[in-house]
Amino acid sequence: MKNNRLYIILLLFLSGFYSLSAQDLLKLIEQEQKDTVLYTLATFKATRIAIGQSVETRKKGVLEWQFMSRFWNIPDRRTQSFIADKVSARIGLVYGVSDRLSFGLGGTTWDGIFDGFLKYRLIWQRTDKKGAPFSITLFQNASYRSDSYPNITATDNFRNRLSFTSQLLIARKFTPNFSLQLTPTYIHRGSLLFPEDRQNLFALGLGARYKVNNHLAVVSEYHYLTNPIRAVDTFDAFAIGVNWEASDVILQFYLTNARNIEVGNFSTQTFNNFNFNDGNLHFGFNFTYVLHLKKKR
Amino acid sequence: MIKLYTICLCFFLATVAVNAQTRYFTKDGHISFYSHALIEDIKADNHQVLSVIDTESRELAIQLLMRSFTFKKALMREHFNENYVESHIYPKAKFTGRIAEIKLNDTNPYETEISGTLSIHGVEKEVSTKAQVRIEADKITLSGDFNVVVADYNIKIPALVRDNIAKIVKVSFELHHKPYK
Repeated sequence: MKNNRLYIILLLFLSGFYSLSAQDLLKLIEQEQKDTVLYTLATFKATRIAIGQSVETRKKGVLEWQFMSRFWNIPDRRTQSFIADKVSARIGLVYGVSDRLSFGLGGTTWDGIFDGFLKYRLIWQRTDKKGAPFSITLFQNASYRSDSYPNITATDNFRNRLSFTSQLLIARKFTPNFSLQLTPTYIHRGSLLFPEDRQNLFALGLGARYKVNNHLAVVSEYHYLTNPIRAVDTFDAFAIGVNWEASDVILQFYLTNARNIEVGNFSTQTFNNFNFNDGNLHFGFNFTYVLHLKKKR
Repeated sequence: MIKLYTICLCFFLATVAVNAQTRYFTKDGHISFYSHALIEDIKADNHQVLSVIDTESRELAIQLLMRSFTFKKALMREHFNENYVESHIYPKAKFTGRIAEIKLNDTNPYETEISGTLSIHGVEKEVSTKAQVRIEADKITLSGDFNVVVADYNIKIPALVRDNIAKIVKVSFELHHKPYK
């Protein structure tokens, strides 16, 4: 009799094993699911946060067409200008040589600055909780000022018109909605408007993005200059605005005090502070169109 | 009496042993989807689909990672994950269901019905579709396609891109299963 009971228990035990449900199959699949490397997508939407570079690079074979503009007024002037007294626009291209390396160039109307740059994604944040907790992109540009300075005593040969900016773009996507970027910047300026000007300057940029919904994000940037030039008062560049994107288009609207569009210039040569007075408040608008030249398959 | 139990026990042990061979499995199944809209057509492929069939109970489970879908345009992949299926919150799509008929000894392809629960973007829905079954040697192939109404899974398409993305996308599957281990 005792034996009987043992057998029954054994039978029940085994039949428990026997019953296979879809849940067991899912469990089996779960065990077989191999870990895939997941690089963080879209820390920022565009290759610019608003005025400054973001950690993002373009994928291989992607050509990005950028139109960036600033509008502002000249204070206390009786003006008949349409919309704004002054307009500056930069037309530029960014091309993804590989998924990590991007190349870009552009020209700006107001200050006559032409610039070219390379961006390389050194470290890519991963969302699968392995690998790096943040992304690092290296940025190096060279810019040429085609306009001459009004100061006739300043030396103004080709070498003086060049300037170089190196940046370490360090960003982390903390949550799907919130990203933060720190940008240590080194600027070497060939141009010396006044002999007192410094040639080597260091700045620290801080940028953030908060996604309001799947297509709209609020962004802000602040570029702190550690050793401003001495001849004139300069202010740190600040911007606040929104990014909107859908399909192949990214639109960025923002308010800023930076007139220059090229990074080395707006970091060091912003002569007005951010406030709502005429002449200080600049409206910025970036239009980016993304074109896929190489399509997979 | 004990003899009877012993026979039963042997039977169970035998079926348990056989059980292992009733499971057919793949981890490189192919699922693609196709969206046909006014402005553009979007096609995405996933070649890392996991699927398991239990021929005894005719049950089927399929799972894939949303991030593993590849698109023609790099930006489409980013938008798909970031803006539409929100793969950071809902990384996987799952299906559990039952195949109406499995004719293990029939090498001729035949059509049958698969019905069950499809889970995408955190929303579970009952679905059923016709599927082709082909059994050769030790391989079970399931293939077919069905339509998915994007709005059913709480995936919102903004009005501005309504001509870029179809409201109904066609999902195709081709899964070649082999005996599990």
